[in-house]
Amino acid sequence: MDIILNQYYLQIVIFVLVNAILGVSIYMTLSTGQLSLGNAGFMSIGAYTCAILTVKAGFPVYLAIPIGGAAASFISLIIGYPALRLTGIYLAIATLGFGEVVRVIILNLKITNGALGISGIPTLGTKISKMLSSFGLSRFGGLTAQQTSNLLVLVVLIFILAFLVFFCTRLNRSRVGRAFASIKADESAAEAMGINTTYYKLLAFALGAFIAGMAGGLSAHLTFFIGPKDFAYHRTVEILSFAVLGGSDLIIGPIVGALLLTMLPELLRSASEYRLMIYGALMVIMMAFRPQGLISEETVRFWKRKLGRRIKQ
Amino acid sequence: MTLVLDQVSKSFGGLAALSDISFKVNDGEIIGIIGPNGAGKTTLFNLITGIFPPSEGKISYHGKNLLGLRPYKVTALGLARTFQNIRLFGHMSPLDNVMVGAHCRTKAGVWRGLWRTPAQRKEEKSTRERAQALLQLVGIENDTDSPAGSLPYGQQRRLEIARALATEPQLILLDEPAAGMNESETEDLRLLIKKIQMMGKTVVLIEHDMNLVMNVCDRLVVINFGQKIAEGTPAEIQKNPLVIEAYLGREEA
Repeated sequence: MDIILNQYYLQIVIFVLVNAILGVSIYMTLSTGQLSLGNAGFMSIGAYTCAILTVKAGFPVYLAIPIGGAAASFISLIIGYPALRLTGIYLAIATLGFGEVVRVIILNLKITNGALGISGIPTLGTKISKMLSSFGLSRFGGLTAQQTSNLLVLVVLIFILAFLVFFCTRLNRSRVGRAFASIKADESAAEAMGINTTYYKLLAFALGAFIAGMAGGLSAHLTFFIGPKDFAYHRTVEILSFAVLGGSDLIIGPIVGALLLTMLPELLRSASEYRLMIYGALMVIMMAFRPQGLISEETVRFWKRKLGRRIKQ
Repeated sequence: MTLVLDQVSKSFGGLAALSDISFKVNDGEIIGIIGPNGAGKTTLFNLITGIFPPSEGKISYHGKNLLGLRPYKVTALGLARTFQNIRLFGHMSPLDNVMVGAHCRTKAGVWRGLWRTPAQRKEEKSTRERAQALLQLVGIENDTDSPAGSLPYGQQRRLEIARALATEPQLILLDEPAAGMNESETEDLRLLIKKIQMMGKTVVLIEHDMNLVMNVCDRLVVINFGQKIAEGTPAEIQKNPLVIEAYLGREEA
């Protein structure tokens, strides 16, 4: 039992889940075929909004996290309206620039504490434990208080991720999802078929930003400290690589990508100097041999036939 | 008067693609637009559907000015089109393709789609049923799970028509629907176009297949080098010396 509930393993699983939520955020914008590299920027807006609200204004965490998401979403609408006129690589560059602008602004604002970042953020685990102990439940069975709080955080994160998967799956099979897919397939044909492409692109962009902002808020309350460096360029690339590795056709793709790429550094601990090299090599190999990512619609169709039964997305 | 084009011109840079085109389309008619390759026929469709604006002139539909409207708004007004180079949503199923066409006639947003409210389910069901009926109308098997992009060529062309019909247009613009079809497929297409007319819709058809055009159209507009050179019934057009010259060249005097 102690091995499974090892503090270190639990921590890794928590990071996997946060990254999976970020993977969903990039899946959302990619579902209209828009390559946005602004997700780290939206994540930082969410994280800072949330941290400032809880640390300085004393907001409860469960309120601060959605507000962080909403703040990111609001900013995304402002920059998205002009930026989404761009497509492909131009949009990628514009949103990448946006991420850097956000980082520099955070670095220079007083309320964000500049380069020092914000520390002393109450962790989600302690918050939940406190809430439970007020009900008289401080520990379960033979678990330590630390294990209990980590497990509870895990449950909360799994619940959020499960809801996001449910949300995306439902959306995919609705009128809005079909509009997204048609824009991804052929934007001007979609427009000619009566779809307001600007609206739906902006919608997907804002939903992606909301999810990224929420992931930012969650991560702020998991790590005790956030600084501008946490949301720099490398973070954007990391989020994008979830979608590159796992595939972005289906929601399960970026989630699997997040799982593998978060586990990988831990498995490669002994070869930590070569980590980035292995990372880079992996990307090159993917681009060369499987540009659609590990899991594509074709993969699912193949396994459906092979197993002879229906697997729902 | 359904669709009115009044002295429409379009130039790309210095190149005049269309100049001073005027014609009218009446309710329930099948109008053919013919002319040699590069005459500007598809450009004309792009102007009508708002892909780009004309340089000069007016286009109105049922008295409503179409200029400056985005394509999706033009579609919402009841004009639908197909494309010369097939532009289906290739990886989606044929049924989903047609259901996308119904977008502007349905309402369910994110919230309703997420919770599958009774209203959303009802709308989804009727959209699906209508899409299935349209697939049947154009003659595409609906039991297929394979993506639209893997259908045979002729079926893809017909699927485009079904998708356009799903937008519930009063006027449908068909851009070379018979291109690449064999004789029996073209005959099926002729019957389909007639059926669409029977449904009370107006059809504007760009086509190179003279046999089809002469058989199905009530009136023809002939365009050459961006200018309208003739307009009339198929019988009149066949005898028009300007048209014969455009297609066959002038006899050496």
